[in-house]
Amino acid sequence: MRFSINGASHELSVAGHETLLGVLRDRLQLTGTKLACGRGECGACTVLLDGADGRPEPAYACLTLAAACDGRRVTTIEGMARPGVPTAEGLHPLQAAFMRHDALQCGFCTPGQIMAAAALLAANPDPTEAEVREGMSGNLCRCGAQPNIVAAVLDAAAVLRASASVP
Amino acid sequence: MTDPQPRAPLPGHEPTPAAPPSPRFRSTTVEVEGREEVKVVELPELDPAPWTREAALGVVGQGVPRMDALEKVTGRARYTADVVRAGMLHAAVVRAPIASGRVTRLDVAPALALPGVHGALLRADVPGVRHEGLQLLDDVIHYAGQPLAAICAESPGLAAAAARAVVLEVERAPHAVVPAQALAPGAPLVRGAGNVPRTSPRVATRGDVDAALRDAEVVVTRTYRTPVALHTAMEPHGAVAEWVGDQLTVWESTQGIFNTRTDIASAFQLPLNRVRVMTDYMGGGFGAKNGASAAALLAVALARKLARPVRCLWDREGEQLDAGNRPATEQRVTIAARRDGTLVAIDVDATIQLGVGGWLGGPGRIYHELYACPNVRTRETFVYTHTGAMSSFRAPGHVEGAFGLECAMDALARALAIDPLELRRRNYATHDQVKGRPYSEKRLDECYAVGAERFGWDDRSPVRGDRSPAEPAEHRAPERESRYRRGRGMASLIWGAGGGPPAYATVRLNPDGTVDVLTGSQDLGTGSRTILAQIAAEALGARVEDVRTVLGDTERLPFAPNSWGSITTASVGPAVRVAAELARARLLEAAAAFLGAEPQALEVRESIVRVPDADRSITFAEIGARLGDVMIIATGSRGPNPEKTAIAAFGAQFAEVEVDTKTGIVRVLRIVSVHDSGRIVNPTLARSQLEGGIIQGIGYALFEERVLDERLGLVLNPTTHDYKIPTLGDVPPIDVSWLDGADTVANHTGAKGLAEPPIIPTAPAIANAVADALGVEMTEIPLTPWNGGLTV
Repeated sequence: MRFSINGASHELSVAGHETLLGVLRDRLQLTGTKLACGRGECGACTVLLDGADGRPEPAYACLTLAAACDGRRVTTIEGMARPGVPTAEGLHPLQAAFMRHDALQCGFCTPGQIMAAAALLAANPDPTEAEVREGMSGNLCRCGAQPNIVAAVLDAAAVLRASASVP
Repeated sequence: MTDPQPRAPLPGHEPTPAAPPSPRFRSTTVEVEGREEVKVVELPELDPAPWTREAALGVVGQGVPRMDALEKVTGRARYTADVVRAGMLHAAVVRAPIASGRVTRLDVAPALALPGVHGALLRADVPGVRHEGLQLLDDVIHYAGQPLAAICAESPGLAAAAARAVVLEVERAPHAVVPAQALAPGAPLVRGAGNVPRTSPRVATRGDVDAALRDAEVVVTRTYRTPVALHTAMEPHGAVAEWVGDQLTVWESTQGIFNTRTDIASAFQLPLNRVRVMTDYMGGGFGAKNGASAAALLAVALARKLARPVRCLWDREGEQLDAGNRPATEQRVTIAARRDGTLVAIDVDATIQLGVGGWLGGPGRIYHELYACPNVRTRETFVYTHTGAMSSFRAPGHVEGAFGLECAMDALARALAIDPLELRRRNYATHDQVKGRPYSEKRLDECYAVGAERFGWDDRSPVRGDRSPAEPAEHRAPERESRYRRGRGMASLIWGAGGGPPAYATVRLNPDGTVDVLTGSQDLGTGSRTILAQIAAEALGARVEDVRTVLGDTERLPFAPNSWGSITTASVGPAVRVAAELARARLLEAAAAFLGAEPQALEVRESIVRVPDADRSITFAEIGARLGDVMIIATGSRGPNPEKTAIAAFGAQFAEVEVDTKTGIVRVLRIVSVHDSGRIVNPTLARSQLEGGIIQGIGYALFEERVLDERLGLVLNPTTHDYKIPTLGDVPPIDVSWLDGADTVANHTGAKGLAEPPIIPTAPAIANAVADALGVEMTEIPLTPWNGGLTV
């Protein structure tokens, strides 16, 4: 199969049962995407797939068969920041907002939170607080960063809207 | 493996009471998770003057952004599960499907025949290796989920498939998975001996409880029940082990690299200097990761047997079944008072479900210390059951005990028709009654005042269940018996968060003027990397952006204690400060030479050394460049705690809830929490940690509960779907604050712990609010609609 991950093309032969998460973590060593439940219950492995309408759609990598991603574009947390920019300046607005609002503690759920938030904002660029809470409630956080996560997502939404409105 | 109890001295090494005082080594008392330990302390080279409340600090007290946030938001932070070693194999575990019995057949040949499978580990491979005091991979089954064998393969998927191919046959024996079963006559034995540890029941008594109860004017008795709660850290337990010759390196997700090193060295009889334990990023612990996990022991044994690096991670089911829990308790509480509310006696009889192992962490202690009461008796019976072992879980014992005590206080307040907050104020404990010592500082009364003000405690609506005018029309009912009823409750906390020795840190200046703080602590997500850098920057006069904290390596870093008991800031922080102060003295000597001034005349701030009133200065980078490879380097240590003084954090929490009387669903509308934890080093991180503790407390109050089938002996909800932790939708507005100040008696940074305090009062504050809403007391958590805990 051939698919694109964070803009780079990969050609792999995968077994029918291999998950996208297994391929990302164990074969390509893209370990930013986390395994926490393996059953699609916690959201830590959330990645983006290119949707039919061009908008990214969220997927639980632990429940997604790698073979089903043939020909698709996958974005992981490693693909969110501008490539080659290891500093805060190159970050995606969501990443910057998570830092600004201290929307993380241990950080293990953070990549999944950011990817889920990216999908949410792609579908709804101007969500209410209630919509953020509802839309992100499938992403568990045990440290209790929820108040800051809500603030970060709303803040990033505003930043993204402002940058989109720049002609 | 974890044994957080004081370890017995080796024979021949018992402390000698008549030993002559040494100028360098002496004893001190340290409180960890409610347990007091007497430790030897090495007096630091320097005992700096405390940073007082008025001290003009530039970096400490600032909301410096979390220093490892960039790594975490980019996915670059490497957790244990992300460690990859050349040739690494992956282990999967075969677990017991029943609670009690024995293995009659365990055939790994079908697994070994699969492609990519490299080997198996069985009981015979690990003779004498014990975890929780039990033989690892034992063929006697003590609980469902017990590891019986481990299979190693080239990928996690192959290993899991191979584990499923193992032929396992077991013979069932009678089980006792709850205390009622384990304490019944003729109950099956969980650990060979009796189902109650030798030191149980543990009885602690102050005064004459029986006499006080006989003469009491008002007596309230209730029985409270708390559930088994599961830590559910997002990162499960796990380790990577690699042998190079006889040198072992273990990467483990742990709260204590040095405890883990000790556990591994003793399990495999290795010299300590042959074992290196590392923890870089850590995906949450909450008390369940205080030493070497069974996963680490399996990884070490497999790596040795197969001569390959091995990664062994618990899957989520393993994590929920076999990685520690907060023990269930039943607490029969009798509380007696005079008609004016003055407490005269507290009598508690508690049963605590340990599971197959753990330590004697019970709810008793908080009853002795939270309120002034001359007569207190707690009797704690600890019970082994055929379930996974308990472990510390954020404020172990105090969380369970606070539920019983603080709900009983509200029951008493109702019986006396006294306002619940007023009742607590009337029973204010001015000193530590357990040891008869003063507190280094106690400002709980101010927490009450600030909390009541922020919450609006005194503007209570006259009619219980009234709704605010903003309530949706469909919720509004003309009569008092509206479907949705609101109530308010509160509770207080105490937690021995003073920390103590030993802890060491090294501070060094690099030739470019940057600074390293080296200490064998770990950052669980608490922010210790950041706050230790702030303390170093403050003491050294460095720019905080130039300071980096290096943690989590037993081989390269000086000792620091487990990140438990809310002790890190108050234990490691002072060691970092001493190291930085010593480094600063050397730095100023060097700078003085370069500036042609006296060292004591110099000022240092923002990584620049200045001669005051003269236009001369030199930057750290310039000093470093002049020095070349001559190092400014110093090691500091944590000094002893003050003699005959109790150190604790305090706080008060207020909750408002809404109960749907048709469904029984409880919704928390808001929480106000005020804390007395001495100096707050970083308000941004403090706020995050406080909110996190409260949110865990909301889960404990409302829905978290390990559910057992008592007949089958199995856990029914070992998943993150069926074991409910709070989600974004469950979290109400939370107002956290703290009293500005510094506890300069506790230690010279003035800081005390903050991690565990916020979870202690949350559940009783919520339960008291529900009781206020309904006029029906809640005696059992979680407050699910189907839980029968009603005391009318």
